[in-house]
Amino acid sequence: MKSLTIEHLQKTYFDPFAAKQVTAIRDISLTVDAGDFVSVVGPSGCGKTTMLNLIAGFLAPTGGEIRVDGRAVSGPGPDRGVVFQSFALFPWRTVLDNVAFGPKMRGVPKAKRHEIAREYLALAGLAHAAERYPNELSGGMQQRVGVVRALANEPDVLLMDEPFASVDAQTRMTLQEELTRIWAQRRPTVLFITHDVNEAVFLANRVIVLSQGAVLDDISIDLPRPRSWDALIEDARFKALAGRVLQQVRAA
Amino acid sequence: MNVASVSPWQRLWGGYVRWSTRYPALASLVPFVPVVALWAAVAQSGLFPPVFFPGPLVVIEKFGTLMANGILPAYLEDSVVRLAVGTAMGLSIGIPIGLLVGLSDRAHRALWPVLLFFQAIGDIAWLPILLIWFGFGLVTMTFVIVYTVLFPVVLNTVLGVRSVPLELHRAALSLGASKARVMWEVVVPGALPNIMTGLRNGLGFGWRALIAAEIIVGTSGIGFLMFDARRAGSVVEILLGMIVLGVLWYVVDSWVLAPIERATGERWGLVTR
Repeated sequence: MKSLTIEHLQKTYFDPFAAKQVTAIRDISLTVDAGDFVSVVGPSGCGKTTMLNLIAGFLAPTGGEIRVDGRAVSGPGPDRGVVFQSFALFPWRTVLDNVAFGPKMRGVPKAKRHEIAREYLALAGLAHAAERYPNELSGGMQQRVGVVRALANEPDVLLMDEPFASVDAQTRMTLQEELTRIWAQRRPTVLFITHDVNEAVFLANRVIVLSQGAVLDDISIDLPRPRSWDALIEDARFKALAGRVLQQVRAA
Repeated sequence: MNVASVSPWQRLWGGYVRWSTRYPALASLVPFVPVVALWAAVAQSGLFPPVFFPGPLVVIEKFGTLMANGILPAYLEDSVVRLAVGTAMGLSIGIPIGLLVGLSDRAHRALWPVLLFFQAIGDIAWLPILLIWFGFGLVTMTFVIVYTVLFPVVLNTVLGVRSVPLELHRAALSLGASKARVMWEVVVPGALPNIMTGLRNGLGFGWRALIAAEIIVGTSGIGFLMFDARRAGSVVEILLGMIVLGVLWYVVDSWVLAPIERATGERWGLVTR
């Protein structure tokens, strides 16, 4: 079953100062199966964040089509949850109300949506922080909230835009392990954008390498799950896969 | 290395900090003790004739008389109601304009220069033409206050709307919010700390404008009390009016504005104290 289908996606900008068209996405075709975890890596400027913004509906493509569960994308919508690098939590809402925001927009009654939110907070080990405000939490905790807020809305696809790039290295590893655990429990369809090769390989079943607005390589990651850094950091297969991806990224 | 001993001054200061934390009213009152003492000393010294420079006791006595005969409460009510009505009108016009100009690039391009132009024509500068149009009355005074409150509210709301990160709009939209919900759930709360700044400035300017309008236009109010006292040559009443102005602002700030700010922007970590 295909959850996300991208066909001949193209995005060009008009640069008014240079007075010319700039190509961000040349031609990308890609399908992601329901319940799969796909990482997208590439050097900065390769078009990976533009691609995510197009899928999320924040930008309109200049060519090609994006379909989610068979429906063509024409703007932002709750079928595609987004986790942002900057967390993008609502500072004026408690953690609980941040997570309950999606269900609230769907019209779920208060008691029910708080029940949903508490369930998802427990999934990320955040039950104790429900009544706090985002600014009272560490960066790592804020991004845990960002992830479960998107999940609590039960999107068809979860789009993650370098979500762990702004937390410290130790927290990042913990968050990566937690994400693989939550993914195994809930099996959301995930498209994960990153510039970190190790992160891409550690998390995903498939790694897509982008270069200059096109797919350079599509690598299957057949490492066993559950995955942990303790087990994988010295693992020969992990090193071989990460090495191969790194080579592609550097060639890109 | 010397072992630090606590000096008597530090002991005194420590006591003040502890007591004023326990009773916040002390923190508001104690700083005025030296001010009043200096005032009393200068008045007592006989440097100026008592008619020109009355001491605190005479002013307090006058306060008692004007409270007892009902003039001060009535004037105070007139001034405060005018300010409250004008401010409410200024907010209900200013916030929607601010949201529109902040959100729409077209509205911003079309309206921003005009807003800056009219902001520059100070409230009092409108009085001559308003007096011709509307005469000496409530319409003129209300116009001046609304005008004065409006611009700080509009300009700060625009700043607030534009300071809401794009990512928060996007997050709300991809969680299923409609554009109207984004306005209510993201734009308004995100702009609220700036709207509060606008309200604070607007109230401050509005209060000054009201006193000026009452001096020129008025038939009642604190400004009228002070100007009327000038005609009678009563420095005591003028000083009393000045003190009432200061006290009233302190009350509005600490009972209305500061609690709202503590419950919103400061709580959310959007502004640092």
